[in-house]
Amino acid sequence: MNKKRKVSGAELQTKRFSMAMITPTIIVLAVMTAYPLIFTLVYSFTDYNLLSALNSAPEVTGFKNYIDLLSDSYFQQSVWNTVKFTLLTVVLEMLVGFGLALFVNSLKKGQKVMRTLLLLPYLLPTVTVALIWRMMLSPNYGIVNQVLEALHLPVYNWFSDIHTAFGMLVLIDVWQCAPFVFLLLYAALQSVPQGQYEAARMDGAGPLKILFYVTIPNIKSSLALCALLRTIDSFRLFDKVNLLTGGGPANSTATITQYLYNYGIKTFDFGLGSAGAIVMTVIVLILSSFYIKRAIK
Amino acid sequence: MKRKLLTLVLAGAMVCSLAACGGNNNSESSETSADGRTQMSIALRGGVYADVLKECLPAFEEEHNVTIDVQELSEEDLHTSVALNATSAEGAYDLCMVDGSWMAEFTDAGVLANLTELGYELDEDIIEATTSICYVDDNVYLAPYYGNVTVLMLNKAIVEEAGYTADTVDSLEAVLDICQQAQANGKKGFIYRGDNQNNLVVDFLPILLSYGGWVVDENNQPTVNSEEFVNAMNYYMELIATGEAQVKDDLVASVDSGAAAMGIAWPGWYTPTADTPADYIALNGKATPDAEANNANVYGIWCLGIPSNSQNKELAAELLAYLMDPEVQYGTVASGGVPCRYSSLQDEEVLAQYPQYEVVCQALESGVYRPVIAEWTEFYTTLGSEMDNIINGAKTVEEGLNDAQAALEELMAG
Repeated sequence: MNKKRKVSGAELQTKRFSMAMITPTIIVLAVMTAYPLIFTLVYSFTDYNLLSALNSAPEVTGFKNYIDLLSDSYFQQSVWNTVKFTLLTVVLEMLVGFGLALFVNSLKKGQKVMRTLLLLPYLLPTVTVALIWRMMLSPNYGIVNQVLEALHLPVYNWFSDIHTAFGMLVLIDVWQCAPFVFLLLYAALQSVPQGQYEAARMDGAGPLKILFYVTIPNIKSSLALCALLRTIDSFRLFDKVNLLTGGGPANSTATITQYLYNYGIKTFDFGLGSAGAIVMTVIVLILSSFYIKRAIK
Repeated sequence: MKRKLLTLVLAGAMVCSLAACGGNNNSESSETSADGRTQMSIALRGGVYADVLKECLPAFEEEHNVTIDVQELSEEDLHTSVALNATSAEGAYDLCMVDGSWMAEFTDAGVLANLTELGYELDEDIIEATTSICYVDDNVYLAPYYGNVTVLMLNKAIVEEAGYTADTVDSLEAVLDICQQAQANGKKGFIYRGDNQNNLVVDFLPILLSYGGWVVDENNQPTVNSEEFVNAMNYYMELIATGEAQVKDDLVASVDSGAAAMGIAWPGWYTPTADTPADYIALNGKATPDAEANNANVYGIWCLGIPSNSQNKELAAELLAYLMDPEVQYGTVASGGVPCRYSSLQDEEVLAQYPQYEVVCQALESGVYRPVIAEWTEFYTTLGSEMDNIINGAKTVEEGLNDAQAALEELMAG
């Protein structure tokens, strides 16, 4: 009896100690994550305007911000643009990144050099990436148009033409972020047991069969993680759009974050901006729920 | 026992760090550094506007034993920073640049200090039209510092090729003719900025004014589907069809290199001389040579103001008075400064070296501020988005302007 009490007493002490250890993390998370999220949710039901609030307290407006937002054709287009952008970039980045990872992993020599070179675009700050591409695609002195002209091919005003602006943003994002996918998948490929490849080859499996029955099953968790991270990141796209197109031409490149910046942040209408942020969070959660479920399993 | 001790230490460290986060560091907010110099902080619009002002600061710092920290920001960041600063009881900024179009929302919210109460008054040397938005009930809140006003930047060779000179571009009809001829000769005609709603609207406003239209009426109600607006928009569509949308740097490079004929520009972007391939002129506000002339140059003047929560208001007022001093402002001309002062812009020595200041002075005398309404940011965002739709063929002129009018009426109704 005494022994049991002693054991349960030790367990209790261990539990208390564990609780004490994780309490700081819980408090930091509550302050840094939960508090802003709750505040944003509360603001989304008010007419809070940063400057107006200096004179009078914000009033509760119920679901007005949500109704205004969801009935706004510009917001609807921004949501569609964002979803389209996310799907396109995630698929392309996964394909390119995976292709690069397979290629570098198959190299007998020069893996380190290739790895470093391929990572460079991802190491650049987004502002630098945007400026580099703006210069390269400039209608005046851009190298792309100069090359096209030299080849007697049609030239474009890439970021101002409604037919090319969106595609350019996708291209730039793929160029910058495919190396991130490459890095994660390359690391995953390194951990695939070589014995499985040898066994597959001995059984007469070709490269495609090896890819689909050995490589992919072994790295599927990394593939899912990559897709999840890229989905979340692509959905929050802002700086490239803001720097290169401002959402134009004709709203064709406006993303949700760009919309929120134009109609919520720039105008200090934080009530509407908060409603938009909540809508965006919900969409990201829905989009990534598939991956999160997989991760929890 | 060891575990308990560790738990206590960790908990104590957390409490201390959280307390430190929320604590008020009095030594930092005292505005005086260890060597006894007063610390001041000012927020400026980056670029030539901040560069010319910064040149004047060392003399003031020396004389008043102060250290001035300068923050150079983009237009949108400056707008946001000044507004965010206003939400603190103790402001971080002692002086800030303010665009004329922010005046209404800033004065409504009490963001700016009353300069008259601080002993500052605007003098008569300042071009009167540029001071029209600086007052609220006879009290001064802003001082016009950098005379930014829209001008028409043109390539001299292309204009001459079309049979004109800078002096004979007497109406929008001539502008269109030159641009169409340039296009026919394989060059680009008119370049406009299409990278955001603000630029789309601002580049169009001189055209709208030349057609006798405006974005609001005398009661600040939107008039963006008026006959004048529709006519101006139809003309603008014809004009921009001769060129394309480019960002500011490309616009300047295009006109300067002769790749394009012209575009709406600001004096701070380019310094023309007798030898440069480009020049600028003030639009004379006529749609046709026989039409009535309107004030057609739009101000983008960078004014100076003092945040009402500044911790050094008196000193900031002294700094503002010093920066607005005619001699100090005259001294900035050589570095690209554009004072809103006759003493600088009509000075013989200045005109001998920088003849374009005559044009700038004319444009400043007949300029128009963007509407002084608290909703201006939302206003131009909505109008610019609809103009973008029209320009890119997503809507017709009538559809786009009617949609803009409806949205703006809703906005102005609150």
